[in-house]
Amino acid sequence: MTDLQPLMDYATVQTWLDDLRRHWGDDTDGVNAERLDILEAFCRFADKDPDSVIDECLRVKDGEKVVRAKGRRRYADLITQFQAQVEGSRLKRGKWGNTVRSFLIHNGILLQAGLQGGDSADEG
Amino acid sequence: MEFKQVIGNRRSIRFFEPEKPVEREKIQTMLEAARLASCAVNAHWAKAVVIERDKLPEDKLEQLKTPVTALNVELAPVHIYWYADLSVVNRIEGSRLKELVDVGALAPTHGWTHKFVDELVYPQILKPMTESPGYAVAAAADCGIAMCQALLTAFEEGLGACFSAFTPNIAKEVFNVPDEWIPLYVLLVGYPAESPDGGGQRPRPPFEEQYFDGAYGTPFQRDDAVVEKLKQANMIQPPATPGNPERMDEIKRLAERLGLPL
Repeated sequence: MTDLQPLMDYATVQTWLDDLRRHWGDDTDGVNAERLDILEAFCRFADKDPDSVIDECLRVKDGEKVVRAKGRRRYADLITQFQAQVEGSRLKRGKWGNTVRSFLIHNGILLQAGLQGGDSADEG
Repeated sequence: MEFKQVIGNRRSIRFFEPEKPVEREKIQTMLEAARLASCAVNAHWAKAVVIERDKLPEDKLEQLKTPVTALNVELAPVHIYWYADLSVVNRIEGSRLKELVDVGALAPTHGWTHKFVDELVYPQILKPMTESPGYAVAAAADCGIAMCQALLTAFEEGLGACFSAFTPNIAKEVFNVPDEWIPLYVLLVGYPAESPDGGGQRPRPPFEEQYFDGAYGTPFQRDDAVVEKLKQANMIQPPATPGNPERMDEIKRLAERLGLPL
């Protein structure tokens, strides 16, 4: 099992929260604490720290960072598996999966997973 | 809706009501608009395959998604896949030009006759054109005109739409299109889940950077009075602004309703 430092110590987590704040102006402690709890749960599920998750989705080509398709697919699948094992409503599972997707997205990993059980989705 | 307002109202819609079906009549209206578009040599390269999302087997729908379009493909109830049929010119051999001569759209006043088409236009201009490297570009540009008419008609019909790229080899397999059809774009269509205003008209480069007067380097000067008139006609509408709180709130609400990441 990967030893996790406090999540705020990871550069990719800082990038995520900074970009969320810049984009949405949404940085209340409570919201971020929930986000961090979910990301930590995912990291334990994937047995990776946050920076490694992002590293595995990127590679350097001609000096430029590009998305590694295989890595992105792997993590897209892992997120799906992660949210499927979350106990609770479909809404909750979707929220947990989307929080991790948000972490990847704000680190430059384009990820579209489709509809994940929003307000109009069936519960349970 | 007035024509200028249709142009002004168009936005690339990326949030569709996923479960609200689009009336077949409206799709036909869009295709009728495309068919009536201006077209070089009356060739009509533009071809389209209309797909109702929910009639596609799930595995095929999955295959058609790309990393960039996966969400919109899932949200939009109707997809119109556009192609340029490069075989058309050599198939019709100028016959549609002669139709234009017959109805007086092309007249001897401008030098047009059947003989001109048969002996010069098709064999000496059109046929060689189909073998030139720029042919596909010309055909695609022509298709763009038809596709644009379909796009604008969607908005006039109260729908939303957005062009996206698609993966040609998968689409070819799924839709069984001929080899001579080259893929252009898919037009995703549905009822907008976002406000028609979409946060305002999207950023555009300055007018004078795009258009020139007489020769490149001399910008076509924009007349403020014309701009004002177009604002009155709702063709030029308030621009989208960075971080617009109303737009940001709207996206948050849509994300929550549809189950999307922020």
